Amino acid sequence: MPRIGVFVCQCGNNIEATVDTQKVADETKKLPGVVHTESYKFMCSSPGQDSFKKAIKDNKLDGVVVSACSPHMHEKTFRRAAEAAGLNQFQCEITNVREQCSWVHHDETRKIGTDKTMDLTRMTIQRLKKNRDLTKITIPVTKRALVIGGGIAGIQAALDIADGGQEVVIVEKEPSIGGNMARLSETFPTMDCSQCILTPKMVEAELHDKISLYTYSEVEKVDGYIGNFSVTIKKKAKFVDESTCTGCGECWEKCPFKADSEFELGLSKRKVIYTPFPQAVPNIPVIDKTRCPKILKDKCGLCAKVCGPQSIDFTQEDQLVTEEFGAIVVATGYELMPNKDFGEYGYGKITDVISGMQFERLASASGPTGGAIRRPSDNTEPKNVVFIQCAGSRDEKRGVSYCSKICCMYTAKHTMLYRHKVHDGQAYVFYMDIRSGGKRYEEFVRGAIEHDGAMYLRGRVSRVYEKDGKVIIQGADTLSGSQVEIEADMVVLATALVSRPGADTVAQTLGIGYDKYKFYNEYHPKLKPVETVTAGIFLAGTCVGPMDIPESVSQGSATASKVLALFSSDKMAREPITAEVNKQTCNACWDCVTSCPYVAIEKEEIKDRKGNVVNMLAHVNDGLCQGCGVCVCACRSKAIDLNGYTDEQVYAAIATF
Amino acid sequence: MENELREKAKELLESGEVAVVIGYGFNRKKTRITPVFITKPEETDKLVFNELCVNNLSIYLTRKYRDIQKIGRPAIVAKGCDIKNIVVLITEGQTKREDIHILGVTCSGVVYKQELFKGELKPEIMPSKCHNCDVRNPHVADTVIGEKSDFTPPEEPTGMVFDKIKEIDAMSDSARWDFWNEHFNRCIKCYACRQLCSLCYCERCITEKNMPQWIETSAHPRGNLAWNLIRAMHLAGRCTFCGECERGCPVNIPLNLVNQKLVLTVKNAFGFESGIDENVHPPMIVFSEDDNENFIK
Repeated sequence: MPRIGVFVCQCGNNIEATVDTQKVADETKKLPGVVHTESYKFMCSSPGQDSFKKAIKDNKLDGVVVSACSPHMHEKTFRRAAEAAGLNQFQCEITNVREQCSWVHHDETRKIGTDKTMDLTRMTIQRLKKNRDLTKITIPVTKRALVIGGGIAGIQAALDIADGGQEVVIVEKEPSIGGNMARLSETFPTMDCSQCILTPKMVEAELHDKISLYTYSEVEKVDGYIGNFSVTIKKKAKFVDESTCTGCGECWEKCPFKADSEFELGLSKRKVIYTPFPQAVPNIPVIDKTRCPKILKDKCGLCAKVCGPQSIDFTQEDQLVTEEFGAIVVATGYELMPNKDFGEYGYGKITDVISGMQFERLASASGPTGGAIRRPSDNTEPKNVVFIQCAGSRDEKRGVSYCSKICCMYTAKHTMLYRHKVHDGQAYVFYMDIRSGGKRYEEFVRGAIEHDGAMYLRGRVSRVYEKDGKVIIQGADTLSGSQVEIEADMVVLATALVSRPGADTVAQTLGIGYDKYKFYNEYHPKLKPVETVTAGIFLAGTCVGPMDIPESVSQGSATASKVLALFSSDKMAREPITAEVNKQTCNACWDCVTSCPYVAIEKEEIKDRKGNVVNMLAHVNDGLCQGCGVCVCACRSKAIDLNGYTDEQVYAAIATF
Repeated sequence: MENELREKAKELLESGEVAVVIGYGFNRKKTRITPVFITKPEETDKLVFNELCVNNLSIYLTRKYRDIQKIGRPAIVAKGCDIKNIVVLITEGQTKREDIHILGVTCSGVVYKQELFKGELKPEIMPSKCHNCDVRNPHVADTVIGEKSDFTPPEEPTGMVFDKIKEIDAMSDSARWDFWNEHFNRCIKCYACRQLCSLCYCERCITEKNMPQWIETSAHPRGNLAWNLIRAMHLAGRCTFCGECERGCPVNIPLNLVNQKLVLTVKNAFGFESGIDENVHPPMIVFSEDDNENFIK
């Protein structure tokens, strides 16, 4: 005969208001197999738990039912307490009588709530009688992390994981790590030079003996599960031997062919053999195979002739490598909304209408103008510059509905940079609202207005057109209630920050969720901001949504702490709620294999003593199985059962109702 | 045609390519057709093929008949409709295509029940599947025996079963419920339907599972209903409408109606027909992100 204890929680007045918990306890005690019942104000409090543990010991209970709130809240608490009292933790079951009973009934006589609580509790008791002792599953962990994306978030994650003593691989699509931050001139609110603070981290990542950089590479395929991912990475052909190249630069000096620089956003040219920017890490060039005449039609080959260490190899091909990882950090970053989307602001038509990121390049000391503000059309110094905020952001019709969050701050920064470089210039800013929440952010914007004389106009721009070498901006100033027309030399658009093209494909490869803007979904936006629903895959930086550098760095570090926690032991434990195949009755029809959404069921070879394969049967991989139960339904001979939710348990619960 | 079949069987046995030929032969009184298992080349004369050969022999390829599998690699005489079942067995891993030799026979229809045959195959004694047969020329076979048939099935399926399905579809819910209850109430739980079905190959059928007992095993209306409906659901998307279950049912439950209704439902919802391609699993059993879900209401 089982010895079951039932604990009915009053949850203050949350349950007690509509459920007579003492009556539930008294009535339940009459059921066969129940030897102890009690009702208490807060079962989850420490006196509540103490009496829970004491009751288990005193009454030698072999199973306990807690009729309280949702198992999402306190299942862990009570299972831990049950274990502390010497019980197998899976002999502790929760009946949800708060969310599913007391909160949904408003009967003042407490009859409905009490009756239903008794029904639900009785079902759990019957279910519990069929429970088997389960032990947590341990799965091995490969202590090696993959960071996808070598921007500031990815670099920070990699550095922190590596400093924690674990191996990291950074996969970066571009020839150099650094990401968008490498393009920035100065950073708000401290105005320190972006490259000056970023490049030491890039170099640290390159030199760290625990970090390997796979630049010019992309993730092709991800198999496996937490602790045991198998990732196929495509290393695109660089046509340069990384082991011998010294980065002397002779090849790109001599290369006679040019193309628009992606890094400089088309503001200048680069060679066909190139590094994206001078501080590139690794400082090894790649050949743009779509433009190199040697590769296209076997002409030129000058770079190979001038290369001292003979590192150039025109026969190189893309390589696929498959490596094992225990955790994946996704830090794929953002890009700015494409130019073509801003017809009304003249972007693409008027040369002197540029994006915020292009302005960063103009202001950067390593940029195409060496840090001097020059307008693109005639290379003269603009004396009037108009900054238009919310270009695409907060514009559901033509752009995106969200606020890109960083534009208010970087526009203020732009006006300051402009005034510092062009002392007699005037900056105008068209804005909707100034959003400067953050430490020293508001003071920074006030500084732009008060010290550096930026003229802030609250209103939207209706038209931008070109006239006599000037850009004419017509707009509204809603504060003074007047229409304004400004003759500007240059216009800078604070374009919306959007997810990278192909972000959805990456998400599908990884098996993580994304929203309608293709930003990746967190497990929980507040309480699990860097986790995804796929265990072992974490998110950092702007692939989740717009955020600034401090936030991206914090997220990078946050993912590192998650990864290091995962790597802290050789094996990880997980809930044993997984499917199990009865090998006696399996017919090997493979319906479970085809129906499993997690590819968790394998065809297992059954061998005799001599090692000959005598049979093939289905086998559930505990690491991959999520316990969804699809295979249980699919199996016609009922050879699969779900541990913790066996057919017997479910039947017993229904039968008593 | 029979000579051709016997020659080929002889050749296969003599060369050792197969160890047994599963085919049709006469009973001792030469009144009925019965399955025969030929293991010696000199006995291949026993093989016959005619309009009485209604049996679906593919059942002998399943794990229910381990003793036959122990003899060695089999060759099986199969009509197009039987081959559909073999294809499903291959899809579901019960046999491998290379492990069997299919002696496909072209067919111009068989009788619904052997005792109905009075010397002539009239359309009214043929089952509905023959009237609408699209595989009179075997679609998967190692050897095809017989003259090519140029029969084309009618566009709208015809026959008693299809007429009856339309009739039942038009019934009210309660009338339909009564119709089926009346038929299922007769069930004596002999499981002949299961024993005859080559797709009911489970070594432990769900009806034999206790702890928990899914289906009441006594011949009680409630258990009868559960058994017949669960069997129907287990065959949905797999049943090839061979008709063996109904032919074998001693109390004449119109199982063809249930099964053909499911065949049509699956065809309409998923555009899938079982037994055509061994590489395609039935759609309901495959997890796919691109599933057409418009039938969920």
